[in-house]
Amino acid sequence: MRVVVPFVQSLFFLLILCALPRLALAQATVTLSGYVRGATDQGVLPGASVAVPALNTGATADEKGFYSLPLPAGRYALVISFIGYETITREINVNRTQRISFVLPEAANELGEVIVEGSGTLEQKLQTTQMSVERLTTREAKLLPALFGEVDLLKTLQLKPGVQNGGEGTSGLFVRGGSSDQNLYLLDEAVVYNPSHLFGLFSVFNPDAVQSVDLYKGGFPAQFGGRLSSVVDVKLREGNPKKLGVSGGLGLISSRLTVEGPIVKDKGSFILSGRRTYFDVFTRQINKLNADDPEFNPIPNYYFADYNAKANYRLGPKDQIFLTGYYGRDVFGFNSANSFNFDFTWGNTVAALRWNHVFSPKLFMNTTASYTNYDYAVTNKIDQFSFNLSSRIHDIALRTDVEYQPNERHTLKFGGATKAYRFGVGRLQAGSKDGRLGFGSDVSYRGQEGALYASDNFKASDKLQLEYGLRATYFQSDSNRYVGLEPRAAVRYSLTPNMSLKASYAMMYQYVHLVTNSGASLPTDIWYPSRQSVKPQRSQQVAAGVSFLLGRGQFLLTNEVYYKWAQNQIDFRDGAQLFVNSDLDAEFLFGKGWSYGNELYLEKKTGRTTGWMGYTLAWSKRKFAPQRGTTGINNGADFFPTYDRRHNLTVVVLHRLTERLNLTGSFVYSSGAPTTLPQGRFVFQEVYGAEAVAVPIYPDRNSYRLAPYHRLDLGLVWNLKPNRLFDESDLTFSIYNTYNRRNPYFIYFDQIKDPNSDQVTGYRARQVSLFPIIPSVTYNFKF
Amino acid sequence: MGLYVKNILTRGMWRLLALVLLLGAVSCENLQQDIDVVIPTAPAQLVVECYLEPNQRAQLTVSETAPYLSSPIPVVPSDVTVVISGPNRQRETLLYNPGFNFITGKVYTHSSRSRLLIRPGDVFTLEAKDTKGRIVTGTAKMPATVPLDTVEFNFNDRPVQQREAIVLGRFRDPLATLDFYRFQIHRDSISQNPEVDYSIEDRLNEGKEITLGTSYEFISGDLLIVTLFHLDQPYYRFLQSTQNARNANGNPFAQPAAIQSTVQGGIGVFTILSYQRRSLVIR
Repeated sequence: MRVVVPFVQSLFFLLILCALPRLALAQATVTLSGYVRGATDQGVLPGASVAVPALNTGATADEKGFYSLPLPAGRYALVISFIGYETITREINVNRTQRISFVLPEAANELGEVIVEGSGTLEQKLQTTQMSVERLTTREAKLLPALFGEVDLLKTLQLKPGVQNGGEGTSGLFVRGGSSDQNLYLLDEAVVYNPSHLFGLFSVFNPDAVQSVDLYKGGFPAQFGGRLSSVVDVKLREGNPKKLGVSGGLGLISSRLTVEGPIVKDKGSFILSGRRTYFDVFTRQINKLNADDPEFNPIPNYYFADYNAKANYRLGPKDQIFLTGYYGRDVFGFNSANSFNFDFTWGNTVAALRWNHVFSPKLFMNTTASYTNYDYAVTNKIDQFSFNLSSRIHDIALRTDVEYQPNERHTLKFGGATKAYRFGVGRLQAGSKDGRLGFGSDVSYRGQEGALYASDNFKASDKLQLEYGLRATYFQSDSNRYVGLEPRAAVRYSLTPNMSLKASYAMMYQYVHLVTNSGASLPTDIWYPSRQSVKPQRSQQVAAGVSFLLGRGQFLLTNEVYYKWAQNQIDFRDGAQLFVNSDLDAEFLFGKGWSYGNELYLEKKTGRTTGWMGYTLAWSKRKFAPQRGTTGINNGADFFPTYDRRHNLTVVVLHRLTERLNLTGSFVYSSGAPTTLPQGRFVFQEVYGAEAVAVPIYPDRNSYRLAPYHRLDLGLVWNLKPNRLFDESDLTFSIYNTYNRRNPYFIYFDQIKDPNSDQVTGYRARQVSLFPIIPSVTYNFKF
Repeated sequence: MGLYVKNILTRGMWRLLALVLLLGAVSCENLQQDIDVVIPTAPAQLVVECYLEPNQRAQLTVSETAPYLSSPIPVVPSDVTVVISGPNRQRETLLYNPGFNFITGKVYTHSSRSRLLIRPGDVFTLEAKDTKGRIVTGTAKMPATVPLDTVEFNFNDRPVQQREAIVLGRFRDPLATLDFYRFQIHRDSISQNPEVDYSIEDRLNEGKEITLGTSYEFISGDLLIVTLFHLDQPYYRFLQSTQNARNANGNPFAQPAAIQSTVQGGIGVFTILSYQRRSLVIR
């Protein structure tokens, strides 16, 4: 705790330091503040712009949709804009500090957002100190073609530079050379521990319920911490406070339904949203029809379902509360004729209660209490024997964030968070029905995590803007205690009105670790706390970039370079026993990782044709020296992790053909993924009886590259005319993998056998692909 | 138990992946294809497989590693000389002299003339050398024998003609030592593939009675040979690593792992078997 005391002193020093300019600059300024909301559902619009062109100044709504804009007294035209909404201009006589909220009408149709919307958002990106951030709205994602027509926000984020997927069709994110467990997924400020369904093929975030997603790849603001590589901040919609509405969609593999409306008109609203896949309905019927066929191998049953709920209520002009809930389950099972039964369920449960209080236009506070849980349970029965294996992590958290704008040059953010964890690493019950065989094991830990932070966004001049902060973190599990100081800094310098230079630095600590021994996102991956021998992961990242506004503000060209280095990276010794192991600590190996690259990004958000192009040139490496009685990994030599890609190109185009027809397309190309293939083999006879087998010998880890991955997806959104049933409806057509490329998923070596003698005559390499060309259609409606 | 759980989960994951592949195969197209891969070849290494047993002649196999996609015919060098040494001045040089052991069903390339006197705790060494200068060495210590206290079977409650039996074996794990076991059940002869083959460690059963069982899979009249091996850690790890390496080929979720040989200078295993064996007839 001795480290924390100087930190608190530093925090006060920082606050005082930031308040000093206020004394020096004290003058007759007033502050406009309030919320920016969308007209249809009255949901807040984080990132919306409130600009005063006459003064060449403005403010951006924060993640709660709240803006605060200090201005000298006078009469001004305010321009309020946000992607997907019509830009409005309001003439306002600003003579006192006051609260004014704005409501933006939605653009005429879904693609209208890219036609009507001004260039404000690109200008904001140029002007802000925050770099390495990607914002995505559901409305954008819904236009793009999707696998099976299932709109997926995380997969859309994979189309941004610096973000890799975890394999064909999966929604896992690998950001700037970080692993999949180094992303912090927040759903209305509560952590989501497993963001995917079915091997990551679908994310847990139902697009109908989500308002927006922000992905921070670097330059992390001080209010975020806990993971090394990225923060994925998902905000749910708040529901329509004006009238009751129903919307939904019928797709190839799932259907969605959303109900929203006012609780008390203009004071509070709710939204309930659910979706469920239904291929189990078909597989059950197929199994039933083939029940009498002894040769038929029953198809396993699988479905996932998730439900989102959110309600908000304005207690008064200064107070509002929000309640968020999420519950999702994947259910999988099969019963074989030989009495082998296997049932497997997993999923997240999330709840968050947020209180939003505006002390004054300059002082704003947000307090959130949250609960989150991820668990899985496996039940296996063979004859009279059974075993039950389960694992879970849950936390209860409380955090407060305060934003204070003492003057037009400083915006202070400070706050704290505390979290209590329970890690149920593994619970096993095995035995026989008659009780003669019985076995049980339960490994669980507790943990506490705390954080204090403060930051200041300092507008030193029209050209120079700085953001600096410090985050102090604390973690304890049993008698193991760790503290960390995480400095954060970012700077933006405008060379010209259309050109900015930016740079940032961030240090991050991660105290919880995902125990996974594969590149895929498996539901059986378990979270594990930092302990005596498992030190916290730590990373530092520097990034620098330049942004140009081109084509009269229609294009933004950004180039960023980054270098990230990390300590205490985690892997496992060869043959590690990760299940039912009371001494899991002994299986860990610790090493270091580093990654660097260049991200080039061109985006266009106005006109009939919009979209973006991104090209990333990157390297990611890891090194695990000999340790703990092992030779480390690769005998201590560097190696590329499976998510290393040298080149990555994405092109996304959205084109409005007519008022009602929108054509979209996306193309991705990435270098082949590193993988490990057997170099040689040897014959192993075994001790008694067993037939001789060929055992593969694996060379250095990930020393082989799969073929490059590329794919073109096309989509067509046809907005139908309003009819008796629905106010709005559309048909969305998608073609995934349009030119039917056989992209490699994995390679294996197989025996070639003589069909007559069944003798092995040779070996061959086989490549497995996951998805061929897949057309799909989805019908969406709203009334 | 951990290994069992891992196998069950792997089986479950494969079923789940099969479902995904089913989704992908909606167009009924073949998603697998032969491809050419270029993998750098490494120099061939000597592979030794040697299990010593008390009062038995040493028999071992020496072969060579081969590129994976090469001919499946094993490469067996004939220029390897093997020396096995143990306590009480036991030392014998074994020359290339291939044969077949009808009891174990194994081929061997080298065999000793005399039977080895080995007791629990005895340490033996092996050195295999060829004319190219390749040398493989290994050391093995015989683990104490752990008695198989009881072996029993029980029928299920189906009609007599259809009833099947489980087999249970019980033994007590020694206190305060890290122990590894292998439990095998052969039907009729140990030269056949075992019907049951578990390898476990005592981490979760330290010092307790351990019961290992089968499913209902044996019928009246079956002659079963039940063997409980007490393994040393290097041999257990070698077994695990060969299993892991085999499972990793074709499993996109597995992390391919290196073979953890018990010998140095090459690949393979040199160990001394310590086991108890019981025979029973299901009736």
